[in-house]
Amino acid sequence: MTKAKGRIAGYLFVLPALLYMIFFVGYPIIDNIRLSLFDVNVMNLTKGHQSFVGLDNYIELFKEGTLQKVLMNTLIFTISCLVLQFIIGLAFAMLFNLQFRSAQRLRGLVMISWLLPATITAMMFKFMFSSGGIINDFLMKLHLISSPIDWLVSSGTAMFTIILANTWIGIPFNMMLLTAGLTTIPKDIYESAAIDGATAVKRFFKITLPLLKPAIMSLLVLGFIYTFKVFDLVLIITNGGPVNATQMMSTYAYKLSFDQFQYSQGAAISNVMFVLLLIIGVIYLRLLKKEEQL
Amino acid sequence: MKRASLLLMSLMLVLTLALTGCGSNKAAEPTEKSNESATAPTDSKKKLTLWFYFEGKSQFDIIKSLTDGFTQKNPNIEIKPVYIPFADFKKRLSVGLAASDLPDIVIIDNPDHAAYTAMGLFADITDKLADWPDKDQYFEGPWKSASYEGKQYGIPLGSNNLALYYNEKMLADANVKPPQTWDELRVAAKALTKGNVKGLGISAPQNEEGTFQFLPWLLSTGATFDHIVPDGTRALGMLSDLIKDGSMSKEVINWTQSDVMKQFASGNLAMMVNGPWQIPDLTKTAPDLKFGIAFVPKDSKFASVLGGENLGVMNGANVDEAVQFIKYVATPEVSKKFSQDFGYFPARRDVASDPYWSQNPQLKVFAENMENAQPRGPHPQWPTISNAISEALSKALTLTTTPEQAATEAQAKIDKILSNK
Repeated sequence: MTKAKGRIAGYLFVLPALLYMIFFVGYPIIDNIRLSLFDVNVMNLTKGHQSFVGLDNYIELFKEGTLQKVLMNTLIFTISCLVLQFIIGLAFAMLFNLQFRSAQRLRGLVMISWLLPATITAMMFKFMFSSGGIINDFLMKLHLISSPIDWLVSSGTAMFTIILANTWIGIPFNMMLLTAGLTTIPKDIYESAAIDGATAVKRFFKITLPLLKPAIMSLLVLGFIYTFKVFDLVLIITNGGPVNATQMMSTYAYKLSFDQFQYSQGAAISNVMFVLLLIIGVIYLRLLKKEEQL
Repeated sequence: MKRASLLLMSLMLVLTLALTGCGSNKAAEPTEKSNESATAPTDSKKKLTLWFYFEGKSQFDIIKSLTDGFTQKNPNIEIKPVYIPFADFKKRLSVGLAASDLPDIVIIDNPDHAAYTAMGLFADITDKLADWPDKDQYFEGPWKSASYEGKQYGIPLGSNNLALYYNEKMLADANVKPPQTWDELRVAAKALTKGNVKGLGISAPQNEEGTFQFLPWLLSTGATFDHIVPDGTRALGMLSDLIKDGSMSKEVINWTQSDVMKQFASGNLAMMVNGPWQIPDLTKTAPDLKFGIAFVPKDSKFASVLGGENLGVMNGANVDEAVQFIKYVATPEVSKKFSQDFGYFPARRDVASDPYWSQNPQLKVFAENMENAQPRGPHPQWPTISNAISEALSKALTLTTTPEQAATEAQAKIDKILSNK
């Protein structure tokens, strides 16, 4: 009796949150899936007779080749950013973990790029990398290049620029999470390893990395999700150009829905994004469970 | 303990219910109110909303002077201007349409008018304008941009078009005359390119702005937006030749029209294609710069593109009042003052013949160019068509593909859009 009561109370406790989730998370997701299976565009948005087309929207995007292209772009962008952010973030975390004077203050300074609104960072990079911008000026003064590079005009360098911008933003986030991870590693392990004659490199690979593993796992998964849905940065720096070379899934979905009024195709792209991130999320939960069982 | 937790639970539940209850009550309120005002006699003021996207305090004040002027003449109608950023404008309208939370009047970019009409956003006011004599005064291009399938859904607010600006000193130094044809343009642009100075600048991003700037070149070949191949290929080819010659910067695909103006003002461009709205800014930024204005050089005929905004009347309870307002804005006195303040070109012949436009050596060119200016579309799928065109332009200017291939691909996309109505 009391057990049942307790169970009811438990359900009642989660009810408000559940209702919230159903209305503000569940409904949009379901409706977005519905939207992607119909043909909804500018001509019939309010007129009611929207025909069911099944997977046609997905097939059409696939046939056009744009879906693969933006998916590739997004993956290249996400993975490059993750790798760079992680390596640099780890370096910073270990550096500031050395407890030298003003380490705290310097760590605070690194946080600045995390605190700036993404739009401001984006505008800054756009100016710096324009053909008459400070980067070209600098490289030319150093005699590294003889004529200005068109950073944002050719496809490879445009992608490079947005990866650089996003890495700059992401470093502090990686640094903080890894710093937190580092503080959980007891100092005496290092001491005894040093006494046993382990070199610094060996200590890093045999102690630091394995013990940081839980922090690294969650960092990479969160970073993947966060980077995968990049939007404002790309929209401002390149707006997907030149010729879709930096078009991401998010910017393309936006462009289809709100510039071209192809609501169904926009929804289809968002759903592909949703499924991919869902898979990543499930993998993350699996890993977390395994970690706990150990 | 258990009882306390249960109590707390039920309290929370009640609270949530109460909150949602409040929400729905609130949502119901405005509709009640609007019903009241619809049925109430004229003693209470009617309130209308106007959405626009012109940025800045001075622009807001100019729009406000229109609505205030109208309320002075019609004391029982009040119109509230609301600024919506341009980047959000289309989104807000389509979201508003789905949520039926829309203004009564909008000032809208003219190529988008047809698309929103097809969406069912605008009211058919053909009958209400039937015995309105002023309608014959409008230039054909602007007037047509507010119509769809033979019906009228609004009227033009003001217009503009694109022409060629040239730096008089640079042209004199290089002993070059303002080019009139493409061949002359290519030679002139090459001769004017020296050091940091490029011969010509246009704005060619992959969006509506890029399409807008490309159309004068495209239309000049005799091609139309729905038949780019074969003639339009020449336009893409000519512009990519300018890039290959080095007479035009590759950066043009990232320049907005105001970026182009700034480059011209700071002496980095000898010539640029731009609209009349840049003149006030240009003379302010570079007061010593002497510039002339000519038609955009031609291939087979002079052509330009029609820019500008329309006043659209939204479907709803206040169509009659909204029509009253747009007729007020259209009266010659109001429209003249508004166009002058705003750097617009009047969409009416009688106002355009005013000495302010017909005698001014700079504005005169734009005035004459109105006869060459063709509207974008109008077509309900214009945004998608425009995207295909600006994509072709991007491909040609970044030299990713040949002009022929870019044009063929764009044509295939446009054919597909036009075929599945």
